[in-house]
Amino acid sequence: MKLSIIGAGTMGTTCARNAAKLANVQAAGVCDLIKERAERCAELCGTTAYTDIDEMIAKEQPEVAVVCLPTYLHKNAVLKLAEHGIHVICEKPIAMNEDDAREMQEACVKHGVRFFIGHVVRFFPNYRDALARVRRGEIGEPGIAHLKRYSAYPTGYDGWYRDQGKSGGVIVDLMIHDIDFARALFGEVKSVYASINRSESMDYAQVTMEFTNGRIANLTGYWGYPGPFTTQYEIAGDQGIIQFDSNDVRSLDVKLQKQGTEAGASVPVPSSPANHDPYYYELKHFLECITTGSEPIVTAEDARKALAVALAAEQSAKLRKPVELEVAP
Amino acid sequence: MNVLKVGMISFAHMHAASYFHHLNSREDVEIVGIADENQERVRPFTEPHGIAYYSTAEELLKQPVDAVVICSENSRHAELTKLSARAKKHVMCEKPLGLSEEEMLEMIEVCRAEGVQLMTAFPCRFLPPVMKAKEAIDRGDIGEIIAMKGYNRGTMPSGWFIDPELSGGGAVLDHTVHVLDLMNYFTGSTAEEVYAHAGTLFHDVDIDDAGMVHVRFKNGVFAVHDPSWSRPSSYPTWGDVMLEIIGTKGVLNIDSFSQKNNVYSNKANKAQWSYWGDDMDEGLVNNFVTSLLQGKPVAVTGEDGYMSARVALAAYESARTGAPVKLTSR
Repeated sequence: MKLSIIGAGTMGTTCARNAAKLANVQAAGVCDLIKERAERCAELCGTTAYTDIDEMIAKEQPEVAVVCLPTYLHKNAVLKLAEHGIHVICEKPIAMNEDDAREMQEACVKHGVRFFIGHVVRFFPNYRDALARVRRGEIGEPGIAHLKRYSAYPTGYDGWYRDQGKSGGVIVDLMIHDIDFARALFGEVKSVYASINRSESMDYAQVTMEFTNGRIANLTGYWGYPGPFTTQYEIAGDQGIIQFDSNDVRSLDVKLQKQGTEAGASVPVPSSPANHDPYYYELKHFLECITTGSEPIVTAEDARKALAVALAAEQSAKLRKPVELEVAP
Repeated sequence: MNVLKVGMISFAHMHAASYFHHLNSREDVEIVGIADENQERVRPFTEPHGIAYYSTAEELLKQPVDAVVICSENSRHAELTKLSARAKKHVMCEKPLGLSEEEMLEMIEVCRAEGVQLMTAFPCRFLPPVMKAKEAIDRGDIGEIIAMKGYNRGTMPSGWFIDPELSGGGAVLDHTVHVLDLMNYFTGSTAEEVYAHAGTLFHDVDIDDAGMVHVRFKNGVFAVHDPSWSRPSSYPTWGDVMLEIIGTKGVLNIDSFSQKNNVYSNKANKAQWSYWGDDMDEGLVNNFVTSLLQGKPVAVTGEDGYMSARVALAAYESARTGAPVKLTSR
């Protein structure tokens, strides 16, 4: 399958590495406004670099394109690809607002192309294991979940993450992973209540999701965390509990002697090595869905609903009141 | 030596056994008597130690007692505290202090008018990690506090704890007050607004066993707290008291009972956490005793008990109405 990559930042680069590993994928162009970046990324998967998306589409004739652009640019790229009859795999969050998300979904339906959103947490082996065990009933009837996602303030090109009009902020961009996962765990959301603290150095939020079945999830998200990137969760049911803390996973931990007088020259970081990263499994899954026509484990509709919850959380924090979600028909 | 004469009123709450142990092991404390309508419940404490038994609090209060420790059902805290205060006894009352704004304010007022001290039993204040955290926060190590997330989850209690008539509430009341007290203590502020969920998600009981409590403090700090009785019987310990504090210059985490050994025994057939850290009840009892002997104010007052319990009461109101509840300024 001929695959183009649009946007050669961190996510585009990850996609290029994984595309090179997938036997049935033929990389068909990498496009980025910054030429050097496009070239570096194209080299990873043995294809041509472009700075113009139309030129790439015309020359490469891809069957599928992966959109790894800043969120505020998703809509235009997806609409263009759909019009050209190209299947779309787009980074999360789906869009900046629900109207845009719907327009993108409708355009893909209209032009007969598949549309996937990269809610990659669904492909993390620890989250998959937890979800599978909950679905098998191992913790009985689930009741309350806690989900946490803390990171340094992301930089990105031009500091676009810091512009809430471009990234949406910590809830829409980061916590949305856990919003989506909480929906996968507990179902449809009835209401949301949130508190946010935003400043130059941090974007921190607490969000409680109440589900139509009475279950509750509390999520915390933090950009500007001074510690290592951290994810945690606990899912408590009437027959058991599943807990995870990324800081506890140290399947490989190397400690180095200081070299000579260079104090603190190396920062030891424990790691959790694996054969493939979750983005590999995500890309493989979406491509299989295109080939077989099957439904993905996370749909564009899921992505739109997660966005709706995230935006409702933003609204709740402003109003200092719970916000009810539209119950899906 | 100056000796504090203490009476204990009711062993309905199991914490009484621990308080008894710490009182009894002090040279400067004499346990004068134990009052409990259920003699069998207190016999293991009275008989081996030659301590007098009384079937009513009134009888005990006629004895030469300086102070009392009340571990009754929650619904009797107010009545027993006022009765003791009017008999001029200092009081340490088990948490939650009371079951309504009015009764708690009256307890505080009666103790003030009678010139006796009222202490709320919040032992978590005396956990070494909590005391160190307070020092770090007051030194400004993490800058200004912005937000907090608390957890006081546990296994489900039994008996009167799950009878609303006697307990006044389930998990949200039982397990909100400790952490809210710590939040008040660390921020030096008090709650202004509460939004909460309360429900029954884990057990087949007619009382709340699950909740999520959001709090806004007067100084702008916001917080969320999970007070649920959500630990299953397979869990390696009874529960937790954890608090994460986000500051402008750093993040501080307290995991109160993480000083533990991981124990794997076929005799238990589940993993167990054996806590080996300091006993917080000892610090609480010591503060009560030494404060009274030295004529100093106790570290945790009736006002403190009121300021945290009113958040739990507001949480129930919020859960009922589905809207945030503003607390009146006191």
